[in-house]
Parts: sequence; structure tokens; C-alpha cells
Amino acid sequence: MNFAGFICDNTGLVLEYTANHVSLVIGVLLLSLALWITTGLLISRHARLAGAVIGLGNVVFCIPSISLFGLFMSVPGLGLGRRTATVVLVLYAMMPLIRSVHAGIRSVDAAVVNAGKGMGMTNLQLLLKIQVPMAWPAVFAGIRVTVVLITGIATMATFIGERNLGRLIHQGITRGDADMIVAGALIVSLIALLLDYLMGRVERIIISPGLRYQSLEPYRGSA
Amino acid sequence: MIHFDQVSKTFAASQRPAVDRITLHVKQGNICVFVGPSGCGKTTILRMINRLVTPDGGTITIDGRSIMQMDPPALRRTIGYVIQQVGLLPHRTIAQNIALVPELLKWPRDKTEKRVLELIEMMGLDPSEVGHKYPHQLSGGQAQRVGVARALAADPPIMLMDEPFAAVDPIVRLRLQDEFLRLQQTVQKTICFVTHDINEAIKLGDYLVVLKEGRLVQTGTPIEILTQPEDDFVLSLLGDDRGVKILDLTRAETLMEPFENRLGPIKSNGHRVQSIDPVKIALEMMMQKNTDEILVCKGTRPVGILRWPAIKTHVNRISGGTV
Repeated sequence: MNFAGFICDNTGLVLEYTANHVSLVIGVLLLSLALWITTGLLISRHARLAGAVIGLGNVVFCIPSISLFGLFMSVPGLGLGRRTATVVLVLYAMMPLIRSVHAGIRSVDAAVVNAGKGMGMTNLQLLLKIQVPMAWPAVFAGIRVTVVLITGIATMATFIGERNLGRLIHQGITRGDADMIVAGALIVSLIALLLDYLMGRVERIIISPGLRYQSLEPYRGSA
Repeated sequence: MIHFDQVSKTFAASQRPAVDRITLHVKQGNICVFVGPSGCGKTTILRMINRLVTPDGGTITIDGRSIMQMDPPALRRTIGYVIQQVGLLPHRTIAQNIALVPELLKWPRDKTEKRVLELIEMMGLDPSEVGHKYPHQLSGGQAQRVGVARALAADPPIMLMDEPFAAVDPIVRLRLQDEFLRLQQTVQKTICFVTHDINEAIKLGDYLVVLKEGRLVQTGTPIEILTQPEDDFVLSLLGDDRGVKILDLTRAETLMEPFENRLGPIKSNGHRVQSIDPVKIALEMMMQKNTDEILVCKGTRPVGILRWPAIKTHVNRISGGTV
């Protein structure tokens, strides 16, 4: 095994692929968060709509990624490259993100919402001051799964012309070059781990300390 | 203050009305207790006052204004609301929880901070210790006190309390009830209080509303309900110890033999109660000290004597027994 040697010999190429990979993942992540968290919040009030949208997310998620890349490539205006890759990956992020937002909002204790409403909060205030902050732990779990998922599936975009780490893996397979495969896979894993670690840091800032001990019982009983 | 006129509500999933043509009046500064078994409509009545439930028929007015003319969130901010599950926001500190309604009303920050400190102290908690904690770090009793403080924050004239003490253990419950009565002496709110516990109703209520299956069965002061129960339902709700419960609501001076009617010197066995103490306290002392009479005092001055036969006759008369 001499994957380190491979990386050293092809530094320029590996750096280019890594930069492309990271920029694709981050772009997809930002778009997905904006789109799917909003959608998740909007559907959380309508049980039937929520069922339909989550069902759609599940279906998309079940389609093999390589065929989805191929299908969207033929859509006019998308073609080979970054656009198709972004659209497909955003679609993959739909299921875990919408699902976690929906589960997060639904997990909010009804008594807290009742108290907030009874004290005179408007629907928007209930959402922003109670439901969203209380849903964060579940939403973050979904975001972290999505980050790792997108980083992995992004390798498949090499087949529609993305010059990213998937190319190392693909060419490694066709050439029977194990070092090349390991180098690509290793860097992809490192990116996933790093992004997951960063999300963990953000999580600690955003989620209230009052919610970090939810496994304990809410009240301890006596006065 | 709060007036119900022929108010009804039938929920969509149900055949019979949850609340059936209720007419009643809650006086300013009173504690009005709605009591009855589960499903009697007491919580629905409470939730109609702050428009969490919309009545199908009839009108509810506060100070002569129909609540249907008011914007629900604005109305709710003028009414304190305390529920059994407390419902503190787990992601906010205790101080931030209490500051909730002032925040909705856009009070200036320093005014809110001052009010929060004042309320934490009023609840007998230590602001420096409790203020920065999160709800999960409190005991049940502390959480319930914070719930009451949060409802009082913007000094609303009306408070709605839905079984606020039902989830804590009996010892804490008694302490919270006593604190609540003491607090009401100073804040003088108009309080609508829901409970299924008749003892709690008798202890806390100035006025009781007994409900059964959405209908009003009897209203009156606790002593009126205890002495003249309307029917068998009220009688069974009051329990078999109705006569003894009355002793908790009767002052020692009511049953004592006043000294101005008495000839001869005052002889005393040294046991005494205050004239405003409930007869139950005197009875407890009689049993403890194995005596039949207790001196009744106003401060240090003896004003009469309370005898065992007088208590017995009183209970016998009220319970409708034979002599």
C-alpha cells in the first residue's frame, strides 16, 4: 500500500479534486438547508401534506444515485457538470432533512405549546420561540447524517463530469490501482468527518444547554 | 368581572355537549373554583375564558366587554395561565421563562429584569440560585412556583389555573396551597381555578362551581355547599366526612360559649386556641391533650370557651343526623 506516495506524486490533481468535492458539498448543503428546513416547517402544520412530501422524499432517496444523475443530465439546462450534480444531491438531502425537521417539531411537548399559546404567543412566535428551538436537537441529527451522506454520494457525480474525488476511485477501479482507490476514499472520509465535527461545534452553540440533558426526567419530583 | 351567559360547547368528535348552557358570574378578587369529576367540562370552561376554546353558543364578557371582540393573543396576555404540566420552556432559563409575557408586551429590559427578581423572591426562591437554571434542574414544587410566577409577571387582573398542584406529591401540594392563599392576600387577583379534588376546592375557594357532565349542579360558598348540598351527586362528591370538613371552615369563635354570658370565675386548663382558628385545630388539641374544653382567645385575652358537646351538636346538625 502506497497511497501516501500516490497523493505526493499527484498533489496538484488531488488538491483540485478535493477543492471541487468540498465546494460541491458545501453548496449543496447550504441550498438543502434553506430549502428543506423551510419546507419541513411549512408542512409540519398539515399532517396529510407532510405525509405526501415525506413519501416523495423517500421515493427519491430509493432511486440509485447513478441513474438519477443520468436522468437529470438529459434535462435541458442542466447537462453535464455542477448543475446536475447540485440538483441531484439536493434531492437526496430531502428525505433526511425534512424527516428530521418534521420529527423535531412533532416531538415538542404539547404542554409547552399550550402554555405558550395560553400566554398570548402568536402562531409565528410559537414557531420561532418554542417549536424551532425545541426541535433543534432532532434537526441537527438530521443535518449531520445529511452531511456525511452528501459527501459520499458526491463521488458518483464523477460520471456526469464533476472533477472530484470520485474520479480517483473510479479510475482506480478501471486501472486496478488500489492506492488510487484508497487515496480517494480516505480523503472523502476525512472530509465527511471534518464537516461532521464542524457541525457538532455549531450544534453546541445553537442548542440551548436546557435541552442537552433531555434523556433525564424533566422534573425531579419533590420540592 | 367575568360573566358567562348561556355558554355551550360541543366538540366535533362528541355527541353530548362538553359544556351545556352555563350561566355564572365570577366576582373581582375572588377565587372561583370549578370542581367536578373528569369530563365535567371544567377545563373547557377555563379555556374558553382565554379563547383557547371557542364556545358554540352564549357570550362571555370580562368587565362588560365580550371576549369575542378582542384579539386572542392580546386577550391572553392580560390573563395569567397556569397548567398542571407547568409547561416551562425547557430551552430558556427560569428568569427568561418568567420574562416571557413582558417580552411579548415589549416591556423595557430593566423593567422586566426588576419584575423577574421581584417574582422569584415572592415565590420564596433565591434569584441568584434559581434565575440562571434551566427547568430540568428544578424540583416539581419549584417548577410549579415558577409557573405561577410566570403567569403573574405582567400583573394580569385575572388568573386561570388548571389543576396547578395536581402533579406534585401531597406534602408539597399542601405547602403550595398555603403559599398560594398567602400570595392571594397580597396580589388580590380574580382567579378561576380548576380541580377535581373537593378538599382543595373547599380549602382554596371563595366560591365553588360544582359541575357534572357539562352542566352546572350547584354554586355557592364552600360552607353553603357543605351545609346544603343540592343533590346526591354533590353529597357523594363531598364525601362521608362532610361534617368534619366543616370544622375546618368554622371558626372557634362561632361555636364557643362567650364569657359575657358566663357566671362565675374563669377556670382554664391552660390549653388555648385563637378565635379565628378553625374548630378542627381546637378539636385536634382536645384529642391530643385528652380534654373536653379549650380556652378561646383574641390575642392574649380570653373571650370564650369551646366545649366538645358544642362541636358534636354542630356536626350532627349539619350532617343531618339525629340527636
